[in-house]
Amino acid sequence: MERSDVRSLYLLAAFLVCAYAMPFLVGAWAGTVRLDERWLGNLATVVVGGVMQGGVYAMFALGLTLIFGVMRIINAAHGEMVMMGAYLTWVAFFYLGVDPLLSIVLTLPIAFVFGVVVQKLLLDAAVGAPELTGLLITFGLGLAMIYTAELIFTTDFRTIPYAPGTVQLTSAIAVGQNRVISFVLAVAISTAVYLFLKLSRLGKAVRATALNAEVAMVCGIDVRRIYLITTGLAAALAVAGGALVSIQFGFNPETGVLYTLQAFAIIVLGGRGHYVGALIGGLMLAVLENLVSLMVPNGTAMVELAAYGLMISVLLIRPGGLMGVKEG
Amino acid sequence: MKTAAILAFAGALAALFVLGVGTGWAGHRPNNEVLVGGAISQTGQYAEPAGRQVYSIKLWVDEVNARGGLLGHTIVLRLLDDKSDIQTSIKLYEKLITEDKVDLLLAPYSSGITEAVANVNERYKMPFLAYGASSTPIWEKGRRYIFNIVAVAEDYQKGAVHLARQIGVKKAAIIGQDSLFPRQAGKGAKDWCKKLGIDVVLEENYPTKQTDFTALLQKIKAADAEAVFSNSYFADSAAQLRQMRELNLNFKLYSSTIGPSLPNFPEQLGATAEYVLGFSQWEPLPKVLGHPGMQEYIERYEKRFGEKPNYHAGGAYGALQVTEAALKKVGSFDNEKLRDALATTEVQTIYGRYKVDARGMNSHEGLTFQVLRGQRRVVWPEKWAETKAELPTPEWSKR
Repeated sequence: MERSDVRSLYLLAAFLVCAYAMPFLVGAWAGTVRLDERWLGNLATVVVGGVMQGGVYAMFALGLTLIFGVMRIINAAHGEMVMMGAYLTWVAFFYLGVDPLLSIVLTLPIAFVFGVVVQKLLLDAAVGAPELTGLLITFGLGLAMIYTAELIFTTDFRTIPYAPGTVQLTSAIAVGQNRVISFVLAVAISTAVYLFLKLSRLGKAVRATALNAEVAMVCGIDVRRIYLITTGLAAALAVAGGALVSIQFGFNPETGVLYTLQAFAIIVLGGRGHYVGALIGGLMLAVLENLVSLMVPNGTAMVELAAYGLMISVLLIRPGGLMGVKEG
Repeated sequence: MKTAAILAFAGALAALFVLGVGTGWAGHRPNNEVLVGGAISQTGQYAEPAGRQVYSIKLWVDEVNARGGLLGHTIVLRLLDDKSDIQTSIKLYEKLITEDKVDLLLAPYSSGITEAVANVNERYKMPFLAYGASSTPIWEKGRRYIFNIVAVAEDYQKGAVHLARQIGVKKAAIIGQDSLFPRQAGKGAKDWCKKLGIDVVLEENYPTKQTDFTALLQKIKAADAEAVFSNSYFADSAAQLRQMRELNLNFKLYSSTIGPSLPNFPEQLGATAEYVLGFSQWEPLPKVLGHPGMQEYIERYEKRFGEKPNYHAGGAYGALQVTEAALKKVGSFDNEKLRDALATTEVQTIYGRYKVDARGMNSHEGLTFQVLRGQRRVVWPEKWAETKAELPTPEWSKR
């Protein structure tokens, strides 16, 4: 590691401490921080809630970062794939009566095939082309998906009333059943994909391609096949994220755009193409948002300011993102 | 040379402009047609409520044409999509007025878009009756060519605040999305709280995209609020209710401006939607409201679109009835005379009585309902109440 890298790490650590101390300081100044038991209970609930939300945020980001890492394509249709997952789960629940968790078994293979088809028909043309090409192609795909969904489902909002109850962790900390389920599922799926990338032969080939496609090709890796698998996997991750959306939030065909933005912010924060970075980025954003909302007066109106402020500041200190490496 | 070219170009533009403005009579169209046009959100964030208004517009156009047309002219409808975007809407209205030369303007949806479009039609002196805007400031700028039919945003929480007072609520929180309409509704809720002696202990807005309300709800509870007046749409009110349940936070009353009035709210949320108060401009309840022609309208709408009309649909249809009546009174498509007729006429519609004040505002009275056993039941004002409100809301653990 070079000296400047080490220095930027120290700077980053110092900055993060300040960033997370900020809501506490503002809160103390405004008198919203009260160090009694009830307030500490609220704080704990909010942090736990943030971690849960962060897990789901990270789920959105993983698929996006995977495609970017391997093919250097920003998939602007990622949020629409999340939305597709939400609708698949919704249809399975309301029309076929399938449990939303069980339906993942059905929807993931569908998503994988969808991803493969997208790669074959659209993205293959964009690999190696200027970055704008991939962005435009996927943006078009996203629009097509939105309007197809509007034709089939109309623009009405949907949601699934699943596991609506509460889990009382301690007498002061409560968290929603569906949030716990979502979080556990998000962690399980992300870990599985992480292990696949780290340990399996195929996963190693994906990583090799991400590092350097030409060298990978020379080593006998079928790069085109790796691309198919990558997009398939990314679509499956997005659709799994959509299943979690459907049991937590209201959604309509147009909410996908939101998730693309969210995921994009997270991977930029965490480090583009960096898998673990996306997880950390997701958690960091969600927890900071909740802290600001809890302690700063009228803070909920400012969560976006805080989130993007964090992102920009981190980028100023480390242009590659939290876990990112210098781009040469 | 260059100046001459620019002058010529400017001259051509001016000529186009003059030609563009000088419309107003349907006689210039072939086949005895009259062009009725507007831009309304068919995609984007407003597509759902605006879509119901599109249904009513189409129904009305076909009915009028079946009756022999508007003043004897067959209506040709030109309905464009503003994609829920203000800038797009402004451009489309400019186009409708100057290029397409519509004879009669229809209103857009949402307060924000209507406010912007109001400057366009004002410039070309073409009136319309706004069925998709409920923010008072639109009518407080001395505009002459825009009229209102729906109840204003400031009154959306009126019934809920009254009911809160009836059950002895002393402290309340007012929250809402950070945009024009929810902010107006919040302002109104605050005024009503003040009038009725309820202390507002927390007031906070959140960004449009907010999905996690954990911290905000904790804050509301910490401020000891007993009632929550939420100026919200579907996604945010649904998330708030769910997270209240998840966090086991109990309030005596929760009321949301828009979410619960959307057709599938109770069905999509299940038991979590129970006891929630919502506001409606109008409900398809001819026996309760008793406006003339309601029954027939509801039947025709349901037959064609497979669902009962909601208040967005009802408001649009009522506005079109008023416009039709005003046109009949005028006897021609003269925009200036139509403007005067809209300002003075009094009409009974399926939506209620229409009669505007000097600002162009109708004093429409809305109603407050409660979701009870999956059904929306009117609980306020008392003259229209179908049933007594079941308040305070039972605790989550006892449901």
